[in-house]
Amino acid sequence: MVVRNYNQELEFLEKINPYCWRIKKGFQPNMNVEGVFYVNQTLEKLMLDELKNACRPGMVGGFLPGVKQIANVAALPGIVGKSVGLPDIHSGYGFAIGNMAAFDINDPKSVVSPGGVGFDINCGVRLLRTNLFEQDVLPVKEQLAQSLFDHIPVGVGSKGIIPMNSKDLEEALEMGMDWSLREGYIWAEDKEHCEEYGRMLNADPSKVSMRAKKRGLPQLGTLGAGNHYAEIQVVDEIFDKWAACKMGIEEVGQVCVMIHSGSRGFGHQVATDALVQMEKAMKRDNIETNDRQLACARISSVEGQDYLKSMAAAANFAWVNRSSMTFLSRQAFAKQFHMAPDDLDMQVIYDVSHNIAKVEEHIVDGKQKTLLVHRKGSTRAFPPHHPLIPVDYQLTGQPVLIGGTMGTCSYVLTGTEQGMSETFGSTCHGAGRALSRAKSRRNIEYTEVLRKMEDMGISIRVASPKLVMEEAPESYKNVTDVVNTCHAAGISKKAIKLRPIAVIKG
Amino acid sequence: MPPYTPEELALPSKKYEYLDHTADVQLHSWGDTLKEAFEQCGIAMFGYMTELETVDIRQNPEIEATGHDLESLLFNFLNELLFLFSSDPFVVCSKLDITEFSTEGEELRIKCKCYGEEFALGKHPQGTEVKAITYSAMQIINDTENNKFELFVIIDI
Repeated sequence: MVVRNYNQELEFLEKINPYCWRIKKGFQPNMNVEGVFYVNQTLEKLMLDELKNACRPGMVGGFLPGVKQIANVAALPGIVGKSVGLPDIHSGYGFAIGNMAAFDINDPKSVVSPGGVGFDINCGVRLLRTNLFEQDVLPVKEQLAQSLFDHIPVGVGSKGIIPMNSKDLEEALEMGMDWSLREGYIWAEDKEHCEEYGRMLNADPSKVSMRAKKRGLPQLGTLGAGNHYAEIQVVDEIFDKWAACKMGIEEVGQVCVMIHSGSRGFGHQVATDALVQMEKAMKRDNIETNDRQLACARISSVEGQDYLKSMAAAANFAWVNRSSMTFLSRQAFAKQFHMAPDDLDMQVIYDVSHNIAKVEEHIVDGKQKTLLVHRKGSTRAFPPHHPLIPVDYQLTGQPVLIGGTMGTCSYVLTGTEQGMSETFGSTCHGAGRALSRAKSRRNIEYTEVLRKMEDMGISIRVASPKLVMEEAPESYKNVTDVVNTCHAAGISKKAIKLRPIAVIKG
Repeated sequence: MPPYTPEELALPSKKYEYLDHTADVQLHSWGDTLKEAFEQCGIAMFGYMTELETVDIRQNPEIEATGHDLESLLFNFLNELLFLFSSDPFVVCSKLDITEFSTEGEELRIKCKCYGEEFALGKHPQGTEVKAITYSAMQIINDTENNKFELFVIIDI
């Protein structure tokens, strides 16, 4: 590989507008298409600093900067359009986190890559509304936070409390939220406000290893650890009154519940298994990539198909998981307020996936094409009138839920036409890390973080004190910067801003 | 509970650390032999999940891992340990004893006794969950001449 200094590297990057940069071919070898990334001034500095660091002489054993990873993805066989980096991008495994890429299904060379989905398959965010207001909740905030914490199993080693045996698991993997509905954990309307209606039809549990099922069974209905959380939030600002209305959000101060979780050990194991399989397939089919971590297989190959079927099962697992926690949250609220969840109007506003690969129709160079769209740390953001979004949001565009980090705001955006044509209907997913976990542990005091949360009026229940340091807001990019960039670049549009009043974490 | 000898109950000294990585954690372990570095690397992973001082030795399940090169051996070894923790019997370990360590030939193999106990909320503080082991920037320093044995592994959390 050619070694270039930072200034030579910069020649391959071009700022095309205040929010968008182009990565020219040649930045990394064999690029089939160009790369592009969306940043504002603040985020741009983070992005370029990462590159500068990697260019320091004598830099070994480090990791690839996000911008290099975007370019490596652009070199994968069958990629169309551009390899896109969203504003919350940071270095990840193979694909950067905050990277999306689409592959032409009808091109026999096209690939599917588990690295383009991530280990936590169908990690996502769900938002429930209530008809409560901040003043209703404030007097009982501590009790409510404790109750949520008691209801939802969180953190390492916690086990689900929804009764499940291996036969139930098989059915849940195949049926997704239809299983939750049949078992009485959710409402029929919940499915309507969920990507894919909470069920990927191509899921095939028989393609999933025993090992993944064994890891998954005890963890169904658990929140997990890391950046996952359940939060009680209040509406802080409404940018788009009409869109907010369609989502059942009427006024500032209204209380919502946000759940951020994924497919737990089940999805992690599916991804691990697939990576091992694909290493073999790559050798057999002579697929060359710039980075060993970009393990992939032709979409049409047995390995590619098996991965897509087991990934779909993991996606279903994640939906059932979020549905189980929806059930538990509704129970917690119902007990606290002595009212049925129904009377509290605890409807699902929407549920998004931000680690997934999906088959979608897009227009590429004026022609309609069937693509396999990988979104890793990126959220689907379909525009108004798109056939795959529910009837309630046909006029507003798909709601896009952007979870903040512990103690920071979260946002609801809507999809736009511009996003559809520029980024294959994709936008950011959250804040994106800025500091490493080890650095956070060293630099940030546990008690300091908790005191700050208290000052902001946020109740917090957390299983692991160490995690509080790692997940402190300082460790992340500013979610407002990220969201404002998406809004300014036109790839999605701000609708609602939410502020947490209670956080439950692993 | 099988009786354990004092040697079995003695914990090894700590020969690992956690290094910087943006989203994940890099384990760095070392030892007087490559085998020891492997054992230490496994313990380092458990050390991220809970406080190892709280773990008593009550069981010692055995695991086996194979690989076609040292990297895949290490990857599979850690994967087996992660699996031991994340499904029945949910064992968290404070000591690992590799009883067979063959790194020659076509198939490399590890057999390891894992000393620890079932993870119990309330007894063991919850650390961070390990999602997966990765090959990302994996380094194995196996320098018998200078007696240098070190491992670097990034775990996804």
